[in-house]
Amino acid sequence: MRLAGNDIVDLQLAATESNWMRKGYLQKICSEKEQALIEESEYPNQLVWLFWSMKEAAYKIHSRKTGQRVYAPASLETTLQTLNPGFSTGFVSVENCMYYTQSTLNTQMIHSLATQERSLLQEIKVRISLHQDGIYPDYASTNPHSVSHHGVYLALIYL
Amino acid sequence: MNKEELLSRLKVIVSNYTQNKEALDSINEDTDFLKDLKINSANLVDVVLDVEEEFGIEIDNLSMEKMLNVRAAVEIIETKLHEAGRE
Repeated sequence: MRLAGNDIVDLQLAATESNWMRKGYLQKICSEKEQALIEESEYPNQLVWLFWSMKEAAYKIHSRKTGQRVYAPASLETTLQTLNPGFSTGFVSVENCMYYTQSTLNTQMIHSLATQERSLLQEIKVRISLHQDGIYPDYASTNPHSVSHHGVYLALIYL
Repeated sequence: MNKEELLSRLKVIVSNYTQNKEALDSINEDTDFLKDLKINSANLVDVVLDVEEEFGIEIDNLSMEKMLNVRAAVEIIETKLHEAGRE
């Protein structure tokens, strides 16, 4: 089955909405391995939201597949294979399932794609648009496969 | 603690993160934190942490999995208070 998910994080909004340095916060969303990487990183903030967007993108496929809604971000284990300025690849493991991910990053936002098959990552069309007023256009008629919006960003993907 | 008191304390917590303020007025056991109140999924962690502080309980990740609506949250808080002998 061709399944994909996507997730976008507006870093400016995330900074005001969420305080991941709050006591107990990271333990609830990250595995011990992820927490250690964040602690060691020169860019802990970007890493927190990179992991988060990878988990969310993978969760969108996993919940579609299992038909189950659960809130267990720490159980989605991320692995980074490449991490370059602006671009990262990796995978997310959960309950014996694995999803491939590809992320784009800049100082303003982080966007992640997740798929069941690695080859599908190259086929996905991504449309990211900015909406300063927080009003998103009507995209339903374009029939996107997965939708994510946060702050000024709207991210749509098409298979 | 009766259910009404528990619910009103829970309502105060979720109101801090609710993006759909209108849905707060009609909050009931079926209210979904994400779909109805439009709480950002990264803020659901804050709800869980606030609940832990407010009620003096610990919510393990297995319990947190189910905390997607008011009914589940109330059940979890009641169970944890019961386990702690503070009903």
